[in-house]
Amino acid sequence: MSEKHGEMKCPSCGSENLPGTLFCVQCGTYLPSGGPLRTEPFSEQSQMRARPWTRDSGNDDDRVVGIELEVLETHRRVLLSAESDILIGRLDAAHGIFPEMDLTADGGLEHGVSRRQARIYVREGGWFVEDLDSTNGTFLNDERLTPYLPYRFHDSDIITLGTLRVQIMIHRESKAVI
Amino acid sequence: MNKTLDPTTDYYAVLGVSDNADQVEIKHAYRALARKLHPDSGNGDVAAFRMMQEAYEVLRSPALRKAYDRQREARGLGPQIPLQCDITLSRQVVQVLSVPQVVYVLVDIKPPQDLSPVRLPLNLALVIDRSTSMQGTRISNVKLAAMNLVDSLLPEDRMAIIAFSDRAETLVGSTGAQDKTSLRSAISQLVPGGGTEILQGLRMGLQEIRRHANRNYSNHLVLLTDGRTYGDEEDALAEAQLASADGIGISALGIGDDWNDLFLDSLARRGNGLCEYIQSPAQLHTLLQNHIRDLSSTAARNLSFDVNCAEGAELRAAFRAMPYMSDLKPQPGQAIFLGNLGSEAIVVMLELVLRSPRSGERRVARLNIAGQVGGASEPMSLHRDVFIQFVESPPTQGPPTARLVNLLARLSIFRLQERAWEALESGDVRQATSLLESAATRLFEIGYRQLGQATLKEADRVARSGEPTMSGRKTVRFGTRGLTSRSSEQWR
Repeated sequence: MSEKHGEMKCPSCGSENLPGTLFCVQCGTYLPSGGPLRTEPFSEQSQMRARPWTRDSGNDDDRVVGIELEVLETHRRVLLSAESDILIGRLDAAHGIFPEMDLTADGGLEHGVSRRQARIYVREGGWFVEDLDSTNGTFLNDERLTPYLPYRFHDSDIITLGTLRVQIMIHRESKAVI
Repeated sequence: MNKTLDPTTDYYAVLGVSDNADQVEIKHAYRALARKLHPDSGNGDVAAFRMMQEAYEVLRSPALRKAYDRQREARGLGPQIPLQCDITLSRQVVQVLSVPQVVYVLVDIKPPQDLSPVRLPLNLALVIDRSTSMQGTRISNVKLAAMNLVDSLLPEDRMAIIAFSDRAETLVGSTGAQDKTSLRSAISQLVPGGGTEILQGLRMGLQEIRRHANRNYSNHLVLLTDGRTYGDEEDALAEAQLASADGIGISALGIGDDWNDLFLDSLARRGNGLCEYIQSPAQLHTLLQNHIRDLSSTAARNLSFDVNCAEGAELRAAFRAMPYMSDLKPQPGQAIFLGNLGSEAIVVMLELVLRSPRSGERRVARLNIAGQVGGASEPMSLHRDVFIQFVESPPTQGPPTARLVNLLARLSIFRLQERAWEALESGDVRQATSLLESAATRLFEIGYRQLGQATLKEADRVARSGEPTMSGRKTVRFGTRGLTSRSSEQWR
């Protein structure tokens, strides 16, 4: 954001604002920091990476029907259906980002959660998580994921988004004999 | 002669004279003190003697005394402080640029610490909508709240009761509050029926107030309605304007979701009163009670201010930030009315646009604040200067205070949604939707999840139908308006 000569361009919506303006006139973004909207990167990050899933034995056991996520910080629980992909992040209506799992209320911003942080989905009966090149990374059981690669996770695993820890509970429809 | 003067020292107090003492008085006081404090005398005090000499040297010279008085006043240390008025700038040092730039000025107006609010006798008119839609809990809650209000009046207060539907009638003409019986029986006789025509009720109410209006009363009309009025809006607004010129305030309390908030809001703004959204009739009682208490208990009345900009400076916007937010819509050359000052501070945010052709320290604006303080019927005035230092190279200075940024964050949300409704009135659905969505995002960011969701929902409705919903718009407008008050916690 150059304030040297001429106007300041809002990093969020691109509107021009007079120098010295604190909140963008068009979208309300806090201009001095490029907006509190923007996820600030943390200084130190665990560099240990988790091993991506490489289509090995898919021992399809039961049919997955849904997943329950518990934000360990706030103990908020959210039950989501397995029918479509689940975006995890922070809601930003102005940019058309509407995550199925919105972490704004859980202090997502303070915990370094990106607006588009990660997605989780079901493939061939298994659950996968994929980091969407988030600012502060997504971790599966404390190992950092490489962006855009699928990682399989299981019931009671812990996914960390930025520094926000989320416990997984997978709900299954058992195929076991009645 | 020692030419240094220190505006933070009260030279008048040092000499023990009043701030309007004449030269003779000052000389006498000096001589008496000099004899007492001279180092050669028995109980001499060198430091006190020097201070006293400095005070005398400044005050005996008309030019220096004038400069000293001016400097003290600019710092808010003036002779008598009728009101406490503090100024905070988003930045004091500004780089010289070829383009205009923005500086925010936060103005805190508070009663001085030693001044306790005075209770003014009330001269009220309660104008009650008795249209058919008021039937049921609404009218019974209105009756209850009105009865309670009558009970809380003091003998020196006056009140009139007017009911209106398609036409208006004066149930009780302005009467002293000793006569609580007739007020009560008038209220109990209210029967709903008919349409909503606000203008007639308004006129009759104002007529009753005018019969006893006087500067030592708090003259106010309270309008209670749940419906829209059709066709008489312009006339009603004109009445409000006339009333405010006569020192009569108008407040509007809207019950339920069907009334026109934009109309009642501008009615209350012109009437220098308050417009409130009463979602459930049960809230009415507390709201009315608090409102009436604020009307009668004031540290200062009829406060207004104007901003005199120096060349190269311009007042682009002015907002009331606290106790609730409103757009003060400044017009060049016109004073901005702030109403009464109760125990809570009035906080105003000004947005100045500066053009800075050269460096140096300059006064960019002067704020003049006027009003009646305490029980005084005569108005007082004071002024504050905004000084900015213009420099050639980029200044190093800290960020603006957290309080200023916080208030501005909330104000910017309030502005986004207000502009959304304006955009919608002029038919720009896309802009309105985008502004509402931005407002929603900012609300989520500062932790107002519920209000954010309500705003998002309204953005969605606007995008689909091109029309706001009456309840949605009220929730968003009145919710964001209160973001700087404690009551906003309900929206988190």
